[in-house]
Amino acid sequence: MAKKKLTISNRLDQLDVIAAVFESLADEWSIPMNVSLNLNLVLEELVTNIIFYGYDDTNEHMIDIELSLNGKMVHIKIEDDGKAFNPLLNNEPDTGLSLENRKIGGLGIHFVRKIMDDILYTRTGNKNILELTKSL
Amino acid sequence: MEIKKNKLGNFLVIDLPVRLDTSNYQELEKSLIGVIDQGEKDIVVNCSGLNYISSSGLRVFLIALKKLSSSGGRFHLCCLQDNIQEIFEIAGFTTIFTIFSTLEEAAK
Repeated sequence: MAKKKLTISNRLDQLDVIAAVFESLADEWSIPMNVSLNLNLVLEELVTNIIFYGYDDTNEHMIDIELSLNGKMVHIKIEDDGKAFNPLLNNEPDTGLSLENRKIGGLGIHFVRKIMDDILYTRTGNKNILELTKSL
Repeated sequence: MEIKKNKLGNFLVIDLPVRLDTSNYQELEKSLIGVIDQGEKDIVVNCSGLNYISSSGLRVFLIALKKLSSSGGRFHLCCLQDNIQEIFEIAGFTTIFTIFSTLEEAAK
C-alpha cells in the first residue's frame, strides 16, 4: 500500500501544494490524469470549505491530509480542528433548474459526493475527520 | 494569471489559463464581470487551455451568464477538454450554457 501524508495550514495558497501533490501522484501511482484532477478537485472543495467556514478566530490552524492507494482503491483522510461540519448533511443543489432559478454556490460538496464512492464523517473530540474512498 | 482578451467579429474572446481555482478565480471575476459591466454584450470564453476548474471558477461563469442573459447579451463557451466537460455535466451546467466545439462556431 502506498501512502502520502501532508499537513497544510489554513491559507488558500496551500491549494498550490495540493495541486503539486496530485500532479506527482498521477505519475507515482499511475492514476489516470483525469481521475487525479478530480481527486484534486475534491480536496480543494473540502479544504476551501474548512478555510472559509471552519474557524471563528484568525489563528493559524493545521489540516492533516493522508492519501493512500490500496490496490485499486484510493483513500483520502482529512483531519481538521475547525467547527463541527458534516458535509453529508449539506443540502444537495438542484442541478436541473433553469438558469433563472439556478443558485450561485453550493456545488463544491456536490462534486465531492459525485466523484467519491464512499464518504464517512466522524467528529472526535475537537476534530472533524472525513474519510473518502474512490475505486479506480 | 494572464487573461488574454481579443475581439473576433462581434465577440470578445477571453482565453482561460490552465487552472481556474479558489486561488485565482477573483482575477477572472474582476476581468469578466468588469467587461460586462462596461457594456460588453457578446462574449466567448475559450476553454481550450483549461484542464482544471473548481466550484469557484464555475461560480464566475454562472454570474456572467446570468448577467448577460438578463441584458440580452450572449455568453458562449468553447473548446472544453473532456474532463472539464465531465465537471460541467456533474454541475448540470451543460443544460444552461451554450457550448461550442470550436472558437469559430462560438463567435459566429
